[in-house]
Amino acid sequence: MDNMHRRVVITSIGVISSLGFTLEEILNNLKDENTSFERFFFDNEVVVSPINGFDIKDFAGHFKDRRYLNRGAQFCVASAIEAVKKAGIDKKLLAEAGLFLGAGPNLDIGGEFPDVKGGEIDRRDLMALWMLKFLPNTAASVIAKLAGIHGENQTLTTACSASLQAIGEAFRKIRDGYIDLAFAGGGDSRLSKSSILAYKKAHALCDGTGKPERAIRPFDRSRNGFVPGEGGAFFLLEDLQHAKKRGAVIYGEICGYGASIDGYSMTAPEPGGIWAERSVNGALREAEFAPSDIDVISSHGTGTLLNDSMEADLIDRVYAKRPPFIIALKSWIGHIAAACGAVELAICLACMKYNYLPRIRNLDEPCHAGLNFVREEQSCPIRNILLENFGFGGQNSALIVRKYDGLQ
Amino acid sequence: MDILEEIKKILAEILDIENHIITPETYLIRKLGAESIDLLELAVAINSRFNIDVNDDEIFLRKLRQYVTEAKQQNNDLLRYLVEKLPFLSRKRLENIIADLEGGPTLKVKDIISYIDFQINNFTVLSVVDV
Repeated sequence: MDNMHRRVVITSIGVISSLGFTLEEILNNLKDENTSFERFFFDNEVVVSPINGFDIKDFAGHFKDRRYLNRGAQFCVASAIEAVKKAGIDKKLLAEAGLFLGAGPNLDIGGEFPDVKGGEIDRRDLMALWMLKFLPNTAASVIAKLAGIHGENQTLTTACSASLQAIGEAFRKIRDGYIDLAFAGGGDSRLSKSSILAYKKAHALCDGTGKPERAIRPFDRSRNGFVPGEGGAFFLLEDLQHAKKRGAVIYGEICGYGASIDGYSMTAPEPGGIWAERSVNGALREAEFAPSDIDVISSHGTGTLLNDSMEADLIDRVYAKRPPFIIALKSWIGHIAAACGAVELAICLACMKYNYLPRIRNLDEPCHAGLNFVREEQSCPIRNILLENFGFGGQNSALIVRKYDGLQ
Repeated sequence: MDILEEIKKILAEILDIENHIITPETYLIRKLGAESIDLLELAVAINSRFNIDVNDDEIFLRKLRQYVTEAKQQNNDLLRYLVEKLPFLSRKRLENIIADLEGGPTLKVKDIISYIDFQINNFTVLSVVDV
């Protein structure tokens, strides 16, 4: 078989988001504007987008390693198990499957060590293996153990680009013939006191003193920071022929992936967007697409001054001839850090399935003229979506997903 | 303090299982599937809840097989050897354990209770002596 031409499709989706747990729920909550933005319980100046009432047991049942999962890892495991259940594949295939995930650090230092003084963290009830709550691959170990996955595995910790990169890496492993199928995605949560403190000190959060639902404003002139969210999403990626042979439902096809690192700042993006553009062009090249083939850009759109102006300039340069629609899903779910790419892909697949584009919320005065920001919701056929994620530390990634109509 | 109730609570929490399936006769490893990391957590939890020193090797009968070999090598009576090595277990319980060796890991919830009981009483005796 000519591995150079293997195609990779998405055949299962597990998503846990503030907009819902299925594509249909997500669509309905987009249409009804059901968001979860609220003021943070501990700090009145901060707005967050939580998933209230989330309990991992509802998704993964009882299992003893739960004790070692921080909240972000819980979203990771819960959404992965959802994807595994919905995949409907047998034990043998699960054992062959790869596992690629994007994970964040556990920043809930205060919650883990509430009484720490003078650097003395030991206490009588400190778990023997407390470190597992801080190790980035704990979620992968738990998912593999629960689901019986034994193929290639990577945990990526490339900040807000991590889960999109995990999906991109899994895509390439399948396309290049190393494996036939892999679960890929991520989960994250940074809604603890300590995490909020971290982003507040970095001046990355928006002013949350007004109406919570008005706080995040991607690409608006008055934008002033992001709103942290939480959640997770996982996908089964599979060689097209493999998927067809077993009669799998196909939600979309992944066509190209690109990634780069700025080598510029620990937090801010390189303002010219040169290296971010390289990741976008890399994805286009890999998909053998011209920029004009892209119908919709799912932007990183954090609502921070620096990201949005860099990203708007980049889109302007790359797509000058035929500007695609631009959506900004963080205006609906907040910024899910390492998991933003995975959850945004799930929402993109909902949009693709139902031919629906949500508006960019709170975009009153666009920071850029001439770009095709989606200002009002609309129904339109969507064929190709390019997702962008640009993370802290200059981590850039882009992924292209195409509607699969079974005709190609 | 009801040691059994406390242990049930701790085990239910660590192993993420229902409290009511745990009795003094329940095998920790054979029945509840406790792995080495679970025993590590159990030792930390017992230390914390009962405020006693926990020797992992003793409380989880880790050296039981080694003692069996040693007794054989030294031509010692096995029961007498175990009474000496595991003083917190009753003679009757040790007899049962010897009879049960073939069946796999013999550790039961009641052995953990005996260990805790023994440690607490020793501690009390020492305190009285101190006074």
